[in-house]
Amino acid sequence: MNYIWDNIFRKTTDQNVFSILRDSYLFSDLSDSEVRFVERCVHVRHYQSGESVFRQGEVGVGMYLIAKGRVEIFFIDSAATSEENREIYVTQLLAGDFFGELSLVEENGRRTATAVAREEALLIGFFKPDLMEILSRRPAMGTKITLRLAEVLGRRLKETTEKVSELRRVLKELRTPPDRHEADSLVQPPFPPKGAP
Amino acid sequence: MIDPRSAYIIRRERRWRLISFLTILSFSFALILLIKGLLASTVLAFVIAYLFAPIVDFLERKGVSRSVATLIPFLAGGFALGIGLTLILPLIVEQLQGLVEKLPRYQQDLAAHIAGLETKYHVYIKAGDFNPSQQLSEWMIQKTADVSVALPSVVSQSFTVLLLAPFFAFFMLQDGNSVARSILSYVPNQLFEIAVNLRHQINDQMGGFIRARFLEAAIVGAVVWIGLQILNFPYATVLAIFAGAMNLIPYVGPIIGAVPAVLIALVSSEASVDSTQTVTLILVSSVYFLAQLIDVVFVIPLVVAKIVDMHPVTVVIMIIAGAEVGGILGMMISVPVASAAKLTFSAVHSHLTNFRD
Repeated sequence: MNYIWDNIFRKTTDQNVFSILRDSYLFSDLSDSEVRFVERCVHVRHYQSGESVFRQGEVGVGMYLIAKGRVEIFFIDSAATSEENREIYVTQLLAGDFFGELSLVEENGRRTATAVAREEALLIGFFKPDLMEILSRRPAMGTKITLRLAEVLGRRLKETTEKVSELRRVLKELRTPPDRHEADSLVQPPFPPKGAP
Repeated sequence: MIDPRSAYIIRRERRWRLISFLTILSFSFALILLIKGLLASTVLAFVIAYLFAPIVDFLERKGVSRSVATLIPFLAGGFALGIGLTLILPLIVEQLQGLVEKLPRYQQDLAAHIAGLETKYHVYIKAGDFNPSQQLSEWMIQKTADVSVALPSVVSQSFTVLLLAPFFAFFMLQDGNSVARSILSYVPNQLFEIAVNLRHQINDQMGGFIRARFLEAAIVGAVVWIGLQILNFPYATVLAIFAGAMNLIPYVGPIIGAVPAVLIALVSSEASVDSTQTVTLILVSSVYFLAQLIDVVFVIPLVVAKIVDMHPVTVVIMIIAGAEVGGILGMMISVPVASAAKLTFSAVHSHLTNFRD
């Protein structure tokens, strides 16, 4: 019984949440008192190992900051032919990392990937209503967070663009037929035919 | 793949969280419904909190601390109410006294009026024991007796509600978010995001709805008051306050609000010194019609986005159901409660069904 109560009514120390928020890139422009205000807006959630934080296709409401534990991100490829190719591993995130931040700015946007806790994890949820509340009550603080958020999203967009460009380049190389000389050299047998000089 | 032991722990934790959350909700609702006067206090507290929330947020934006920002509208509201009551209360009391004194005469006039109609159209009334004028007299005597019996308890209950509601509202504005956050912490993980979003949407919609309805009520009350003053109609202030308050009930409220004035115009020969009874009746009806016209043409389009989108038939059914459950208070809160239920249902449905793009 104790185990259940320990799990359900688990409390994390305020100091822990404060220091994690303080160290987060998203809130790095805020003063200590402003971080305290954010601390009163966020939600601390506990996840068991193997429990999904959110699933691809669900309506996303906000982002999560990892206070403790490890979270893996997967992409579910619905076009995959076999079951083992359906789940595509994207990345692994550790304490201090955050994910799902696109939902903070999207209107009814769906999650583009699935996040699963890979060991007991403590996550700090920061959701759109919380951001709206901060913007409404403390606009200056909200602007600082929004600017950092825009920066993060911009960086992610830049990385994605670079990856797409790289993939396009590879795809183009694969599609372009090699030139004649190159083709001849490619089809040249490894050993000269009999009688050849 | 998730191992069976972890799957079991996850399921167990989710189940206990859900049970805890539902228990807290059910217990709170039961407490509100069972303790006498608590429902009215809570509803009024929500109304005050939603009306004051933009002012509190505005003051906080200007750098005032949350506690002081919450205190200011309460002090200002109390001061304004005090001044307003000092100025208006004697007038209301005077008008109400006049109305009470003349009520037996109005009752007699109305009965006589109906008796005249009975004589005029007696050929169409076939039922032997159908006697509206007598029934009306009996009904009014009964109702007057009921009111005099119920008045002491109504006054003491209203006093409790009026004391408790601002107290609750203050703490809703001051600590409401942390209380909601604590309750939300019991929601199971897989339902957590939807619960956070739902709370935000319902909060937003309720706030918009309540502020819009009060704006409408104030405008309707003001237009009725100005119109009746121009017509030199008696009890203008009391009738305007009644019209404004009844306007809070959608669809049927405006009709209920107009009934006393129309009845007074119908039975009172002193309603207007320089016009006949029929002209007075038309003019008084026009004032109420104009108030509704201004409401429909100007007020609703401006605040329509904030008023819940529900079919008129659904709204009327909800009002009838609300009246059955909670009288006038039930009629007033039935629509926002139904809209919150609709929002919850559509959000949960969308979450469960439209899973993928």
